[in-house]
Amino acid sequence: MLKTDNINILKYEINSSQGDLKQTLKAIKNQDIKVSSKGISTDFGDATIPFYAFKDEIKQNQQSIKDALKDIVSKVISTLDTKQKKSTALIVGTSLIDWHLVDAINGCAYEYKKTNYTSKKYSIDSYAKELASEFGLNEFTMTINTACTSSANAMLEAKNLINCGVVDYAIVVGLEVFSPIMSSGFYAMELISQTDIKPFDTNRDGLILGEAIGAILLGKDNSKWSLEGGFSNCNSATITSVGADGKECVEVMQKALDDANITTDDITALKAHATGSNSNDLAEINAISKVFNPSITFTALKPFVGHTIGASGVLEIIIFISCIDDGFIPKTLSCHTPIVQDYMPINEHKKCNGGVFMCNYFGFGGNNISLIIKKENP
Amino acid sequence: MKLYIKDYSTYKSDEEDIDIKKTLKQKYKLDTRRQDAFIHLGLYGAMLLKEKTVIDKDDELYVTSGIGNVDVVQKTNTRVYEQNQPLKLFDFINLLGNTTSYYIASALGISGKNIFQISDNFTFINTLISLYASINHSQKNAILCSIDLASTPNEVIKRVLGVDEDCSVVSGVNYQKFSLTKDDAIAEIEFDTLSYSFDEINNILKDNNTKVIFSKRCDNFFETYPSYIINDAIKNDEDIIFVDSFEDRYKILKLKSLK
Repeated sequence: MLKTDNINILKYEINSSQGDLKQTLKAIKNQDIKVSSKGISTDFGDATIPFYAFKDEIKQNQQSIKDALKDIVSKVISTLDTKQKKSTALIVGTSLIDWHLVDAINGCAYEYKKTNYTSKKYSIDSYAKELASEFGLNEFTMTINTACTSSANAMLEAKNLINCGVVDYAIVVGLEVFSPIMSSGFYAMELISQTDIKPFDTNRDGLILGEAIGAILLGKDNSKWSLEGGFSNCNSATITSVGADGKECVEVMQKALDDANITTDDITALKAHATGSNSNDLAEINAISKVFNPSITFTALKPFVGHTIGASGVLEIIIFISCIDDGFIPKTLSCHTPIVQDYMPINEHKKCNGGVFMCNYFGFGGNNISLIIKKENP
Repeated sequence: MKLYIKDYSTYKSDEEDIDIKKTLKQKYKLDTRRQDAFIHLGLYGAMLLKEKTVIDKDDELYVTSGIGNVDVVQKTNTRVYEQNQPLKLFDFINLLGNTTSYYIASALGISGKNIFQISDNFTFINTLISLYASINHSQKNAILCSIDLASTPNEVIKRVLGVDEDCSVVSGVNYQKFSLTKDDAIAEIEFDTLSYSFDEINNILKDNNTKVIFSKRCDNFFETYPSYIINDAIKNDEDIIFVDSFEDRYKILKLKSLK
């Protein structure tokens, strides 16, 4: 494999259920986590599910979603000059339903909603294209949809594009906004917990979805944080989950280490995917136990912000590095009896100011990815 | 940027009208249950490619589409918002873009990288750029699947493709297997990230002697049409320059046959 330069993480911002980055960090430190609820339709009638919702609602329509994206993207490009912006790609990772398609369907498929024929090229990537145009960014935009790994995959794609010289910078956006369809789908798969997310706990009973937008600016300018490498694949036995022994996850983690030219001994801590679902957590902890010895420090962030599906790649990396910049690795909430006895996620915040970290995302549809990030110890 | 094409497969519905689901079941013995027409179209192209070429499990897979799986969005939208019915489980699963790429990877025997992505402008070329950047790092081969399904009513697709109301849209699925090395290649393709104005394009092409094909966003159109044009030129052993267009901007693909 050709080893190319690492890429630096230059700037970032989020909007999560706990607020902006500063507010989210404060909520994590103080364990003051807000979880609300949403109503959905199910086979058994209407149901209410817990949900990590934005403080200020982002409505399910093109304009609201675009406005929210614009707000976040404007913050991460604030230091770029005109020339740098022209060499900045915008890559979005999301599993969001395409409201451009829904609007086109509404405009012609149902008689009572019919509107006059209009034509303008739209797709799920239209948000990126329009923002690139408004901010004077490079024409290259892309929207990746690989479910829970969408924005994590977008980060690796961005790294390749920069290293290949296609662009000098890339903004990677993770986007997920509440959708009754997505929530109903997860509910139908019996993956939603009605209580709380209990990562790697024997009593775990599912995940709780959340919404978030996060954006990271990547480039070669100096920074304390870097994206050292990673590996992505798609090889699960079934479309909904990896095997219980976690062999698919083992392969991804080992090849991510290879890509970054490091070994497990170099890893300071691991941010697990840890959805709290029965099969996913079992596969991941079995994989962790095969790759790392029991002394590995690992944690889960979803109890703080929910499972934000396509946004989770970018969102959780931003939260993780912000916590370390603040001097700690956040503890895992609600894990009391670990699935594998010797592999217990940290149950207290742990002091940490730097090191090399693995971030896992093991998703629906067979897509798995591990990223390696690094911060030189101050 | 230059890539070599090792093999390809092509299907366009106005050239050959077949029952794809039946063909997948009877000829290729695939289990088509729980899947929809968009996935079937992708699988059909994959099987055509698999018949002709060796596919390694570590080949990277990129799947792209002009607008994605319209049928399943329409189906779920109607069911949930118009009929107030709960979502059907497999409609939810098929709604996710990487469901299609999962089934394609499984059919091809690929267990490595697998990305489903959409680019609003220059869908095919932008995915080609991503693919090039990726294998430039990994030094692997990669397969690009470009898939567009003309669904009913096709007015939905025409509204989001940005084409005239009387434009005819068709379905197409086109694959290429790309490599960084020339060994056993049947064609080479050159492209770059720049887009040009019409005047700039004319200036670039003024001394050109190679056959030039301009993108036509009408008449039997689908968004990943450049992928079909490339395959058609390879089939006919032609060297071509293809000029793709999007909102008054133009990009160039140069294809040279090596057969």
